[in-house]
Amino acid sequence: MPLADAVPNPYHPSLMRIQDYTDETADVRTLKLQFVDDAEAGEFTGWEPGQFGQFTVFGAGESVFALANAPWRPNGDRDLAPTIECTFRMVGKVTSALRAMSKGQVIGFRGPYGNHFPVDDWKGRHLVFIGGGIGMAALRSAMLDVINRKSEFGDIVILNGARSVADMVYSDEMPSWEQVDGVEVVRTVDPGGETEDWDGQVGLLPNVFEGLGLDPENRIVIACGPPIMLHYLFLSLGKVGYSPEQVVTTLENKMKCGIGHCGRCYVGPFSVCRDGPVVTWAELNQLPEDY
Amino acid sequence: MKSVKGSSWKLTEAQLREWLRGLLEENHVVAPVEEDGVVLFRRIASADDAIVEASGKTRWSPKEFLFPRTEALYRYTFAGGAVQIEDPPVPEKHQVLFAVRSCDASGLVRLDEIFLSGTKDLLYAARRENTSVVTAACAAADPECFCTAVGYSPVGEEGSDVQLVPLDGVWLLRALTDKGQALVGDGGEGWKKATAADGKTLPAIEKKVAGQIDRGPVNQEWSQVLEDGFEHGAWDRLAQHCLGCSVCAYVCPSCSCFDMNHQGNAWCGEQCRSWDACTFPLFTHHASGHNPRATKQQRYRQRVLHKFAFREEGDQPFRCVGCGRCVAQCPAGLDIVNTVAAAVEAMREEGVDAAG
Repeated sequence: MPLADAVPNPYHPSLMRIQDYTDETADVRTLKLQFVDDAEAGEFTGWEPGQFGQFTVFGAGESVFALANAPWRPNGDRDLAPTIECTFRMVGKVTSALRAMSKGQVIGFRGPYGNHFPVDDWKGRHLVFIGGGIGMAALRSAMLDVINRKSEFGDIVILNGARSVADMVYSDEMPSWEQVDGVEVVRTVDPGGETEDWDGQVGLLPNVFEGLGLDPENRIVIACGPPIMLHYLFLSLGKVGYSPEQVVTTLENKMKCGIGHCGRCYVGPFSVCRDGPVVTWAELNQLPEDY
Repeated sequence: MKSVKGSSWKLTEAQLREWLRGLLEENHVVAPVEEDGVVLFRRIASADDAIVEASGKTRWSPKEFLFPRTEALYRYTFAGGAVQIEDPPVPEKHQVLFAVRSCDASGLVRLDEIFLSGTKDLLYAARRENTSVVTAACAAADPECFCTAVGYSPVGEEGSDVQLVPLDGVWLLRALTDKGQALVGDGGEGWKKATAADGKTLPAIEKKVAGQIDRGPVNQEWSQVLEDGFEHGAWDRLAQHCLGCSVCAYVCPSCSCFDMNHQGNAWCGEQCRSWDACTFPLFTHHASGHNPRATKQQRYRQRVLHKFAFREEGDQPFRCVGCGRCVAQCPAGLDIVNTVAAAVEAMREEGVDAAG
């Protein structure tokens, strides 16, 4: 068979219908999507937490978002059609166009891309998820996966940090996470971002994390947030005794192709979309500071 | 592609043109032609149009015939509220890239490493499969050439299906792959079989051309020095004259970065890809406003290091093939070989962490 017949077009998106959405904040929305074509839904092989997709608004372009709901595994115990959720902030041309779409409208999806969180390696360990702002979106799939399979893991602490109370994502669903035994959710906003009736913490994420006084022993930290937050968080983690192998993050460079070809997400020899986005702090230390 | 023993001939200029005429009957042939005083690769209609000489190069590399400057990756239409997506047609007629320099043929192999590794690019794969490359070895270096300084050769066989080598007044023709053998067949009328002695002229040609190249060499060990010296202050100085115009990336036979954008209206449109360059500030600009390479020093360093330092395997060839187009066409007179040499010298003398 000629090569060209054997190679599918990697840029051809699947069509997905917006079933529903949740407005997390004034500029952040979570979409719930389902395949338009039943055959494509049947062929979809699912994803693992930490992987991402390219989402298309036809006429506007593509944007990269994390696949943010619990991973859909074809051999799992679900017989439902795969549903994909993504959380995005309206910041540019594509995300503004996406925000303007309504239920029932159709967008494109291609993926999943990238590596994933080694969730199965975390069995029996205590876990801390630290998300800064929209960074929570990249952690949500892994978080929901371990909450669903809580008996396989130790204690789970989720640290959700935002600039202000109005900027906090997943406010509506955090209570349901806490209902599971052994799951603790800590909310924090930056100083000045609190309101009068705010009952969460006030402080920058690295400081709030230090204040929790969690024992590093047998614990994995999974963090995602803006580069400046990660910089200070790593300083805090080092100070309280975490080793770089215990800390996992996900790099969020500018991406276009998603398959390691277009060249823009390189950090040194490391292509974030192909070799990442999930890296340990130890792996990150091996790369040039170019992210 | 590994070189295989195929047939080897000696052709006069007239016989070469006759062979080219034959190739044109079955294939699209792309060859150097003169257009408005500039030598460029173009699809030719007549064998007489092709410029096949013992030295000299085209203004642009032939990469655009495998990786076009702009192309549609798919088309979409909105019909009654439903979206329809159509893949672009893949080329059906065989294409022969004719009189490609060895450096440019290696450049295509460097592109293969990007577009055919991991998830394959359909359009590139289809064109590549349907393309044969006839290289023309160089008997002399242009002033900007530096292939032998970066591990390549004016008579290199990499990426070549048929190789033409200029001997005294005749062309040595060597079929190097099955694809190449298919183009040559049993030879043409009056072709003379080449002798073992003809084949032995290649090292002498390489030596002669290497003697004309006065820069380099860039040593393999420099990769590690450059990678370790990522934060070295020398980059501030070395990039000072860069204008950020990115002509270096556009003329480069191995640069493969591209952008993707939707072009369309309320009825239909295309997902397009077009050449892009790591030397542009928007290339890495996040939607959030964060830009990991906000300065031209960071961008220039990225381009140089991606050619000479960032390699997945230590023994991979440099991603710079030494054609020298970026040197000849840089409006600020920057020379990538001199840059690398100066960076490594500074890093060795001052230490890889020095502020410069």
